[in-house]
Amino acid sequence: MKNVLVAAVLAAALSILATAAWGSAKAPARAAASSAATATVKCGSVRTIGMAAPITGPAADIGNQQVRWAKYFVKRWNAVKAHAHSRIKLITGDTQLGVDTAFAVKVAKSFASNSKMLAVVGPAGSQEVVASTDSYKSGRLGFVSGSATRVSLTDGHTAGNRIGYFYRTVPNDGQQAPAVANWMTKKLKWKRVYIIDDQETYSQGLADGTQNILKSRGVTTQRDSISQTQSDYSSTIAKIPSNYQGIYIPWQLAPQAQAFGQQLAAAGKGHIKLFGSDGLFAPGVWKITGSYDSAFPFNAANPVVLAYVKAHHGNGEFFGLPSYVAAQVDTLAVTKACKAGHGKTTRAAVRKQIAKTKLTTSLLGFPVAFQHSGEMKAPAAFGIYQIQKNGAFKRID
Amino acid sequence: MSTTPRQALGNLAGLGVLLAAWVVYAVYFSPTQGWTFFLQLTVNGIILGSIYALIALGYSLVYGILKLLNFAHGDVYMIGAFIGFGVLTLLGGPLSPAIPVALLVLCMFVVAMLGSGLLGLAIERFAYRPLRDAPRIAPLISALGVAFFLENSVLLLFGANYRNYDGYDLISFNGIHLGGSAGVFVSYLGLMVISGALLLMVALIALVRWTQFGKAMRAVSFDREAAAMMGIDPDRVIASTFFVGSALGGAAGVMFGLLYSQIYYLVGFLAGLKGFTAAVVGGIGSIPGAMLGGLLVGLIESWARGYLNGNDADLVVFGVLIGVMLIRPSGLLGTPALQKV
Repeated sequence: MKNVLVAAVLAAALSILATAAWGSAKAPARAAASSAATATVKCGSVRTIGMAAPITGPAADIGNQQVRWAKYFVKRWNAVKAHAHSRIKLITGDTQLGVDTAFAVKVAKSFASNSKMLAVVGPAGSQEVVASTDSYKSGRLGFVSGSATRVSLTDGHTAGNRIGYFYRTVPNDGQQAPAVANWMTKKLKWKRVYIIDDQETYSQGLADGTQNILKSRGVTTQRDSISQTQSDYSSTIAKIPSNYQGIYIPWQLAPQAQAFGQQLAAAGKGHIKLFGSDGLFAPGVWKITGSYDSAFPFNAANPVVLAYVKAHHGNGEFFGLPSYVAAQVDTLAVTKACKAGHGKTTRAAVRKQIAKTKLTTSLLGFPVAFQHSGEMKAPAAFGIYQIQKNGAFKRID
Repeated sequence: MSTTPRQALGNLAGLGVLLAAWVVYAVYFSPTQGWTFFLQLTVNGIILGSIYALIALGYSLVYGILKLLNFAHGDVYMIGAFIGFGVLTLLGGPLSPAIPVALLVLCMFVVAMLGSGLLGLAIERFAYRPLRDAPRIAPLISALGVAFFLENSVLLLFGANYRNYDGYDLISFNGIHLGGSAGVFVSYLGLMVISGALLLMVALIALVRWTQFGKAMRAVSFDREAAAMMGIDPDRVIASTFFVGSALGGAAGVMFGLLYSQIYYLVGFLAGLKGFTAAVVGGIGSIPGAMLGGLLVGLIESWARGYLNGNDADLVVFGVLIGVMLIRPSGLLGTPALQKV
């Protein structure tokens, strides 16, 4: 009995010592994160920005498009002789959108702890922005997303206040849903629309918004959902009445839309038109002729865009294009902050420069400047496209 | 865990009663009433269930002989799908095949089954055989490790992008209408999947029941040591069983790709889980059980998706797994119990 008591006391003492040691070992890391947040960084000739994107996981297809566009910007920037002393190094972090937002938080924390990191491109998903806001804020890092479109991200109070930290180079869903509903009711004159979301918050938000507007205009709607891991849509398709005119699919994964469209046609319901959202803007992947899609506009004739398309075997991967602009915003902000600080800067200074961004021309086809909320100023808006026989997305509005 | 023939009959009778009650509710009382809708979902479920049955057979074969849950099986199925896609691409693709379509599809199946079978052999040899006499947890962990290894290998080699079989472009968008143009529609692709799966299942039953190898499999499954004493090489039989199970998984992968078009490196995860569910519901280690379980899981998933919201299908499928485990832990058919005479 005595031996047992002695052993128990020793074990308790060891545990307390171990906990104290672990705590003090963590303390330097926490101190490192907080010191990185406020530290003055020596800019040097190579400045570091981060890119948080889903490189693996169910959304890897669109995530890698974003990474490639951002790297394309960095490559073009670094190739300019005048930028020899202000080159950019892009560090990527895999957020695995669609698996767990914990990965996005992990990436945010690692970026925040990196004392050389000055700004971030991403993350991709609205749910990831919400999850990682605290980490970016505690690290004082500004982050510019090329695809997170949920309206409430910039309202200053829903799921956190990220004003002054979060910016986006895409219009939000509050603009997309009315654009879609307007086109359906005023141009296509649809009276019966089936709406299917993919259970992600991006998709549900868009589906809700569009459905509400359609209902208010007397359009008959029905609602269903699929999951991003689903491949068999036959039962979902069986539920769709044959006399419906359109199916709204605000999904994130274009291969799913392609498979859905094929199964719809195989079930004898190919006459019902599909209408997608910006997540499905993937020429070459989603190829169902006659389908409609809403997407942020871009300047298809821009030589930079044409060069990218050529380098990628005709595939423009346009979902990733706003990430090019996001990388451009971050890079210019970092460069200006370093110049103003005579070779030294802080993350706060970089964020101020992001807020003052004024791109007179951009690949989006309009000038880019930000409102206080983090939204782009007008004329940012969504366009309506239709898939042609050759698979190209043609703007029709 | 085992089931006597009487218990198995009882299980089937109980299942029959539940199914009958469900049919009555679905057709006459649910918000979406009518025979056509119900039968359409049933046909969809049979097609899907055929694929799950082939996956479940792989699980049951391995469990029957080694009492090991091969969690890498879902990823063998995934690799089978990729092999089939590779053959399709090499031979011209779905829009301009270099050889007749029937021959192309046959090549896809043969190569995918061979490739998956060889992969199964390699997995057994390097990941499971050294651990055969280790505590049960060791091969289980090894199986999980192999699963992640395969997924990430495919990710590294082929990237994260989806590959699209475009099966309907290759074979046909058409099918048959049962009961007129507004009746139940079965695509030619769906018919191909059902008949292909049936053929493979019949071939497997024939292999197990009427061949020397099948006898050896049953002997090793019953008592490995005694079988060895009878002159049967257990290592060879076990390896061959892995080959057969993995080949079936590969065939299922090609069917999946043709029918549902998109494949990517994680496609084996959920399918593997559902195949495992099917094997357990039917009775792990039982070949007829695996087939019945696969069919049931496919039907339940299809009905759930049709009558409930799309969110609820997986909830229902895995809820059924829990229910079966609570009520009938050995599954509906299980493995035959010894009867004292």
